[in-house]
Amino acid sequence: MHRLGGVGLAAFERQQQSARSFAELSSTISQTQVENLHNQLAQFRAALSRYASTHRDAIRRDPTFRHAFQQMCSSVGVDPLAGPRKGGWWAEILGLSDWQYELGVQIVDVCVSTRERNGGLIEMGELVRLVSKLRGVGSGAVTEEDVVRSIKTLRPLGAGYEVLDVGGGKKMVRSVPRQLDEDQAVVLAVAQEEGGRVSEMLLVSRCGWTTDRARAALENMLLRDGLCWLDEQDEGDRTCYWVPSAMRWD
Amino acid sequence: MQLSTHTTPSGFLLPSIHSAPPFFTQQPNPATQAIVAEQWSKLILSYARFRNMFTLRVEDAEIPGGEWDEVLRNERINRRLLPAHLASLIADMVSKNLASYDPPNQTRSVLLWWRQPDEWAEVLYQWADSTGQMNTILTFYEILDPPVPSALSGIPITVLRRAVSILTKSQRAQIISVSDGEGVRFLSRNGK
Repeated sequence: MHRLGGVGLAAFERQQQSARSFAELSSTISQTQVENLHNQLAQFRAALSRYASTHRDAIRRDPTFRHAFQQMCSSVGVDPLAGPRKGGWWAEILGLSDWQYELGVQIVDVCVSTRERNGGLIEMGELVRLVSKLRGVGSGAVTEEDVVRSIKTLRPLGAGYEVLDVGGGKKMVRSVPRQLDEDQAVVLAVAQEEGGRVSEMLLVSRCGWTTDRARAALENMLLRDGLCWLDEQDEGDRTCYWVPSAMRWD
Repeated sequence: MQLSTHTTPSGFLLPSIHSAPPFFTQQPNPATQAIVAEQWSKLILSYARFRNMFTLRVEDAEIPGGEWDEVLRNERINRRLLPAHLASLIADMVSKNLASYDPPNQTRSVLLWWRQPDEWAEVLYQWADSTGQMNTILTFYEILDPPVPSALSGIPITVLRRAVSILTKSQRAQIISVSDGEGVRFLSRNGK
């Protein structure tokens, strides 16, 4: 008797063979689809960049247009400020490029928009992360050095932007023209290590301060400068302080 | 400290600031407290909108498992909003017209305006228009509990009354007394 597909070992083999062929076929099809999508995306990005370079002036002039454009860019992963440099590559090599100033603008944007929650002090890593997010490119594209250099170019504006070393290799960017005293710098460094949380007890045991000194430093940061937030429901110390600039916000 | 958003069992997405421990303490620095108050009122209104709730009482901060528990308490970091803080947040919302004391002349309970009265008026008017009820007389009961559920099903009568009074001012509705209480007639704008 003849059956479709047959009997015995040969049929088994044939079945396996056909399953293999189907699997191969499906992977080829999905690969082509992925490639197609990549191509489309690349084309779209190119078109968007071209659009950006032709409408550059309009984008700069009109804030609502600029905002909409930037949102569109960051959702497709394009750097909104990329494009032909007006100064050419010489200018870029000399450290005077538009790119640098543009990065400066983005730094100011991040500092100003986070100011109300962190009191005008932001941790360097966080700043780089937020600027990268704003630019919509991988975090490698903007480095700490870029940020430091851009902040230097902002100096003539007199806005008081400054990079502070708080010790332990940690840097912070201050965007309010106010002097940080030494004790506050220590508090910030401790807060960095503790994920944002500081308390009088912690400063006494960690830095060998007196309770009065710790209290004065924390009260100043809390009441005068608004650099930290009070927490009265802490389990250990009952009252503790949180430095928002040392916390990571999503 | 990593602050991230959190989805509650009822499906509401809490903002990342809700997982920051100091968010639950009343801040002595007025500038900081202003930020805290703004974030809280935003959170309270969006949650009320999400759950279709209209009332917030100071006591809600003390009812574990109550309808406001998901927002007023964060068990993951063991923090909760204390009644005194909630009372001051409520006062702040009233001063910004985002809530009003209801019943009046007390400060323990508010009606939340997650839609402003004039927005409710628009919703009401649109509903009457789209369901073809222009020029017919409707009782308040028929609006609050229509056979086909609408955006207005179950809203407090105070809200409805405010919305209707706004519509009467712009000659888009007329209050009519009917046998079993009050009624309203919606008028189309071009005076047909």
